[in-house]
Amino acid sequence: MVLELGKGALVIDDMKNVSIKIGEVVEEEEEWAPMGPTPMPGIATLRDWDFFLLKRYKPFYAPACDMCCLCTMGKCDLTGNKRGACGLDLAAQTGRIVTIACSVGVSAHTGHARHMLHDIEHMLGKKLDEIPVDLGPEIAEVAPLTELITGIKPKTLADLERALRYCEEQIVQVVDAIHTGQEGSYLDYESKALHLGMLDSLGKEIADIAQICAFGLPKGEDNQPLIEVGMGVMDRSKALVLVIGHHAPPAVNIADYIENNGLEDEVDLGGICCTANDMTRYYQKAKIVSALSRQLKVIRAGLADVIVIDEQCIRADILYHTKKLGIPVICTNEKAMHALPDMTAKDPKEIIKYLLDGNPGCVILDPLKVGEVAVEVARARRKQRGDDIGPRLTEEEFMEYAKACTQCGNCTIACPQGIRIGEAMEAAENGDRSKLEERWDICIACGRCEQVCPKNIPIIDMLNYAAWNRIINEKGKIRRGRGPVRDSEIRNVGAPIVLGTIPGIIAPIGCGNYPNGTKEVYTIIDEFASRNYIVVTTGCMAFDAAIYKDEEGLTVYEKYHDRFDGGGVLNIGSCVSNAHIHGAAIKVARIFAKRNIRANYEEIADYILNRVGACGVAWGAMSQKAASIATGFNRLGIPAVVGPHGSKYRRAFLGRPYNDEDWMVYDVRTGERVRIEPAPQDLLVAAETLEEAIPLMAKLCFRPNDTAQGRSIKLTHYIDLNLKYLKRMPDDWHLFVRSEADLPLAKKEELLKELEDKHGWKIDWEKKKIVEGPLRGYHAGFNPTNVERLFKEGFMTL
Amino acid sequence: MPKAYEQPFDAANIPGPKMASLLEKGKPVANMIKRAKRPLLIVGPDITDEMFERIKKFVEKDNITVVATGSAITRFVEAGLDGKVKYAVLHELTNFLLDPDWPGFDGQGNYDLVVMIGTIYYHGSQMFAAFKNFAPHIRALSIDRYYHPNADMSFGNLWKREEDYLKLLDEIVAEL
Repeated sequence: MVLELGKGALVIDDMKNVSIKIGEVVEEEEEWAPMGPTPMPGIATLRDWDFFLLKRYKPFYAPACDMCCLCTMGKCDLTGNKRGACGLDLAAQTGRIVTIACSVGVSAHTGHARHMLHDIEHMLGKKLDEIPVDLGPEIAEVAPLTELITGIKPKTLADLERALRYCEEQIVQVVDAIHTGQEGSYLDYESKALHLGMLDSLGKEIADIAQICAFGLPKGEDNQPLIEVGMGVMDRSKALVLVIGHHAPPAVNIADYIENNGLEDEVDLGGICCTANDMTRYYQKAKIVSALSRQLKVIRAGLADVIVIDEQCIRADILYHTKKLGIPVICTNEKAMHALPDMTAKDPKEIIKYLLDGNPGCVILDPLKVGEVAVEVARARRKQRGDDIGPRLTEEEFMEYAKACTQCGNCTIACPQGIRIGEAMEAAENGDRSKLEERWDICIACGRCEQVCPKNIPIIDMLNYAAWNRIINEKGKIRRGRGPVRDSEIRNVGAPIVLGTIPGIIAPIGCGNYPNGTKEVYTIIDEFASRNYIVVTTGCMAFDAAIYKDEEGLTVYEKYHDRFDGGGVLNIGSCVSNAHIHGAAIKVARIFAKRNIRANYEEIADYILNRVGACGVAWGAMSQKAASIATGFNRLGIPAVVGPHGSKYRRAFLGRPYNDEDWMVYDVRTGERVRIEPAPQDLLVAAETLEEAIPLMAKLCFRPNDTAQGRSIKLTHYIDLNLKYLKRMPDDWHLFVRSEADLPLAKKEELLKELEDKHGWKIDWEKKKIVEGPLRGYHAGFNPTNVERLFKEGFMTL
Repeated sequence: MPKAYEQPFDAANIPGPKMASLLEKGKPVANMIKRAKRPLLIVGPDITDEMFERIKKFVEKDNITVVATGSAITRFVEAGLDGKVKYAVLHELTNFLLDPDWPGFDGQGNYDLVVMIGTIYYHGSQMFAAFKNFAPHIRALSIDRYYHPNADMSFGNLWKREEDYLKLLDEIVAEL
């Protein structure tokens, strides 16, 4: 109950034996900006914005399954968009599945945030309201997403906790709507998925800001030190502790134990996935062994004396493999306990003995106990093994298995990539191992092949054996994750981004389910950074880019600076650090355009969609988290490209450039509705190959608000990248030309000629001007919005 | 017929009760192309040199619009055929094809027969699923080396029997 008292005196007379309890004193929040229209929006609050997006980018459905089997009236055959027993048709059912995926993804990030706050209180021995949200002197906009969505500008972690409670409540409401007999429209399912995507971004921001402030992680400083990355970076002569997952507090305790006991020369700490990224933000001597897609390769190579897992992206069959190898596993998170005994309450010495007695593993839910157990188990096991770790197979075993292969093809049809493993086995049998080695990197080590092999060939061990030299020599460098983008950086680049003279922000993020190996990530980052785009990367893609070097032996992190500026390559951090990419876009609206971001989601998303040329790329998107991350970017007006596996997410947001009505915006300057170019054409699209993805990403950086100079730069790259990767001019480049000033200067005459000959435009050759042809002309004061309310009422500026 | 012949190339890709009927000859494909009002051949990047030799003949015969997706377009450019084939992002193209009002590559309207070859298998399978469920105006065929369960009709799994497969392509070309 909330009791509000106004002016005057509260007098309580003649009351005896009355006790008054005050649960929580809510201080009125400082009026840091006027409250916007949508603090803590509910499911329906931003529905109009969603429906605008869903009209322009109509959901495209490619079901992975034509049936529904979620209730006992089914199974239902929905083929051909039929309705099932509950009345739901296949389009809505697919929207529902997308909503389920997003609800799983957002729960992972939000659950992680909640867990983070619990662990912080426990590990620091402080209350949340005693820990300030302080990101240093150059970041006043500390939590752009929290401010934008909830209206709260957090001063302490307790304020973040309030935002988290909102997030959790909303997730429950949306998951409720997934139940049989609730929502019936695919559009409303998608609106709910977009809502979850937004909440996902908020959950991530809370988790990352909390860990930055509690554990002293970097606060957006550039020129971050280089961290070692690759399967060859672990010093195999030391005791090896390998952490896997996304929740760093147990790894923080391991690092503390190593440092406090002076064991740096004896123990190497490495990680897979986002825990690796986050622990290097805390402990610079830690190493990043690999991204997600190498997990089973690392485990099967035996590159660990002990494995510590926390949450998310851990192989569900980890125990199956580690038991065979004799590597003990410590589960540190209640979300992944693998039927192991909970020994949290036991004395660390007792747990160490238990693990060294040959038991497969245990659960330790107190992060403060994990360090001692993990390190001491690794040290003891190191003494029991030789000084180096070699391949699991002997030469004789390798050759015997190669000979045993009958090329039956079971492995190939079990393989998500369809890799011709039999062909490579045959080559190996004949003395050529290069095919196995080359396929080692394309393989995502899912292990499906081994289960269908009639000869029980340990295919991953075979691949590891063939690639062993590559494995032990894989030594790259990555910048330590720097966290948020500083306000001062936004002040410098806000104008060039909005005007288009920095051609775009490219955000390679997400998992490692690539179609064709890891090298493509390096190519994407190098290509765009070399063209003065700002490249902000996180998670697995950030690691995979770091293991390749140019002709001079430099990784992209050594070749390029890590400022948020043209030509920068920034390792922002882990999955939850993705929130700082949204944050940077929001801060452009706040700092450059002086828009009020407080509880003003729709207006800021509209701003970003029309003005901020950013494009995400999740080339190996695999998880439900990646689904909710992308959906969160989409609601904020940022498009994303995924790899070809991404079409298995079932839903894309694709535009129809030929449909005039989809591309009408209000021009606040003239009061007219204007048909704009398809910019950005899609919000979520899968590309088939890298050669297609790169020009597509350049295209998705066009924005209607680009100045002529900016458009000309973006068009230069779009055309150039098409010529480089697809060997031809794009068919649609003319759609992005508003006047002759938009044309790349070096090719102006050639392009004018093509506009005249191929597209029938009228050109005044004397003045070299376009007389007739473009979708619209260019005006410097063009001020686009898609929100009718804003057109009438004006923008909220500060 | 061996079971593996009609098994999806990605073994677990069993979409539901409706799976592609098996095409065992090339001639019926040619007949469907000839009978269609607006046929479209989509060529993806997963093609061998031998397959490309046959695909070039489809272009020469000129009774089906050919569109390359992904990096497949570079093969056509290198063969001097850029002007004779279209280019599209497969995901975007499929979205256009789902819209009965799409004017097509030439402004003459949408297509009624889509034939696919060489798409990245799993991605192509998803596109077939979109046609199957949301494009009643389109009949979709796979003439790839793999059995595509989501197509209306598909060749069987012939990725290990290249000669048999190429013969089928030759049969189509001969009848066009």
